[in-house]
Amino acid sequence: MSIPPWLDDLLWTYQNLIHAMGVNGLLALSMYVVLAIGQLSLGQAAFMGLGAYSSALMTLKLKLPFFVVLPASVAAPVLVALLIGVPTLRLSGVYLAIATIGLGEVLRAVYLNVDVFGGALGLNGIPERAETWMIFGILAAGITGLWLVGRSGVGRAMEAMREDPTAAAVMGVNVPRYHLAALVTSAILAGLAGALSAHVSSFIGPNEYGFEPAVTILSFALLGGIGTPIAAVAGAWFLTLLPELMRDLPQVRLTLNGVIIVLAVLFLPRGLLGWRMGRKAA
Amino acid sequence: MTLPHAPLLTTQQLTRRYAGLVAVDHVDLVVPQGGVHAVIGPNGAGKTTLFNLLSGLVTPSEGRISFAGADITAQSAHRRAGLGIARTFQNIRIFGAMTVLENVLTGLHPRLRSSLGAVIFRLPSFRAEERDAVAGARAALDLVGLSARAADPASSLAYGDQRRLEIARAMAQNPKLLLLDEPAAGMNPAETVALGELVRRIASAHTTILLVEHDMGFVMRLSDSVTVLNFGRQIFTGTPGAVRSEPAVVEAYLGARLAAKLQAHHG
Repeated sequence: MSIPPWLDDLLWTYQNLIHAMGVNGLLALSMYVVLAIGQLSLGQAAFMGLGAYSSALMTLKLKLPFFVVLPASVAAPVLVALLIGVPTLRLSGVYLAIATIGLGEVLRAVYLNVDVFGGALGLNGIPERAETWMIFGILAAGITGLWLVGRSGVGRAMEAMREDPTAAAVMGVNVPRYHLAALVTSAILAGLAGALSAHVSSFIGPNEYGFEPAVTILSFALLGGIGTPIAAVAGAWFLTLLPELMRDLPQVRLTLNGVIIVLAVLFLPRGLLGWRMGRKAA
Repeated sequence: MTLPHAPLLTTQQLTRRYAGLVAVDHVDLVVPQGGVHAVIGPNGAGKTTLFNLLSGLVTPSEGRISFAGADITAQSAHRRAGLGIARTFQNIRIFGAMTVLENVLTGLHPRLRSSLGAVIFRLPSFRAEERDAVAGARAALDLVGLSARAADPASSLAYGDQRRLEIARAMAQNPKLLLLDEPAAGMNPAETVALGELVRRIASAHTTILLVEHDMGFVMRLSDSVTVLNFGRQIFTGTPGAVRSEPAVVEAYLGARLAAKLQAHHG
C-alpha cells in the first residue's frame, strides 16, 4: 500500500503533532473512564509516567522487542493502581484528587533520586519504535471498546453511579468494584500512552508526569465532555491543536488555553460535545 | 431455606447511635412473609434510619438483621439488593439525566451476567440478555402506568410520576421485600388513592411490603400490621385497629397532657 506524496509530506511535517494527538487522545480516554463513574482521580499523568519509564527501561536495559515492551508497559501502572486503589476506594471527590496528585509527586521524587531512572536528566536515546498506526490503532480500539461497554448494562451502572452512588448501590451496583475497575482501566490506557510517547520522542524526564500534565489531562475531558469517550478525545485534540494554530503568538498561548478552559466550564458544563451515550431501546 | 411461616425479615436488638443520639434503639422488628406492613412514628422517631439499616446504607452499632433465613448484618447494600431487598427514597433519588426506561433497567443490574468479552463483541448471549432486561423493565413500567414515558428523561416526569418510577425501578429488582419510604409524601388525595391501589397490587406472596408513611389514612387502609417507633424505640406492634387505642401511641403523637385529656374526655 502506498500513500500519495502530498499525504506523506503532511504526515512527515506534522509527525510530532499527529503523535501528540494520538497520545493525548489516549490520556483523555484514561481521564474519561474515571470521570464517567463520578470519580475525580488525577493519577493519569503518574500512570503515564510509570508506563513511559518502565517501557523505556525494558527497551534500553533489557533490549526487549517493542511488541513485548508495549503490552508489558501496562504492568507497572496497573500494579500501582491496585495498590492505591484499594485503600482509596472509600475516598471520593476532592480527597481522591489530592491522594492521586500525591502519587504523582511521590513518583516524581523517585525518578529524580533513583539512579536507574536517570535523575533530573531522565532517560535519553530511546529508540523510536512506536509507529503512528500503532498509536491510532490503540486509540481507535480504546474508543470502540469504551463505547460498546458504555452502551451496555455496565454503562448504565456507570452513569447511575455518576448521578447518585447511593441509589446505584441500592440497585445492586457494586460501587467499590467499579471504582477499582475504572482506575485499573485508566492506568492501562495511560500506561500505553506513556510507552507510546516514550518511543516516539526518544527522551523522557521526571517533570513530564507531574502536577501540570495531570491538570492538562483533566482539562481534555472537561473541555470535550464525558458523555461519550469520543467527546473527551475531541477535547484533547482541540487543546493539542490550539497551540499550533497560535504558534505566532507564543506569549498569549498559555493564557488563551486557560481562558478557553474557564469559558468551557462556565458556558459548556457538559463539554464541547455534551450529548449522552445513545442506548438502544431507550 | 424459608419455612412457610417463618418471618421474612427480623431484627434483633437493632441499634444505631450517633453522637449524643440513639436514632434506632434496640428494635426487634418482625416482618412476616407477604402483605403490607407499616412503620409509623412522629418525626425523628428513627424510621428512615431503620430503613437505611435494613437496606445496608448505614451499619448498625449493635444488633443483627436476618433476611429470608440468613444473617445479612454484614452484607453491603449491593449484596442485599441481589438477595431481594429493594427500596425507594423519601427524597426521590432517580437518575435524572437517564431515560425512564434506563432508570428501570438499572434495577435489573444484579441479574446481568454477560462477561466483558460478550459485551464488547456483542455476542448473542449479551443481546438476548439485554432484550430480556428491556422486556422486564417495560413490564415494571406497565405495572406503574409509565410505559408511555419510557424514552423521556426521568427528570422531565412530574413529582408523582417520579415516585412511581422509583417504585418501578425497585420492582424491576423482583424483590422479596420492598421498602417504601414515605411513598405518599407530596401527593394529592387522588394520587394517594391510586398509589394505595398500586401498593395493594404489588403486595403478593412473593413481594412483601414494608412502608414508612405519615398519611395515617393510607397506613390504616393498607397495612396488615403496624410497628410504632418513638425516639428510636419500638413502642407498639399490632394490627391497625389495635394501634389506635394504644395509649402509648396516642401519647407519642399528641404528648402526654393532650393524650390524658383525650382519655378523660372519652372515658
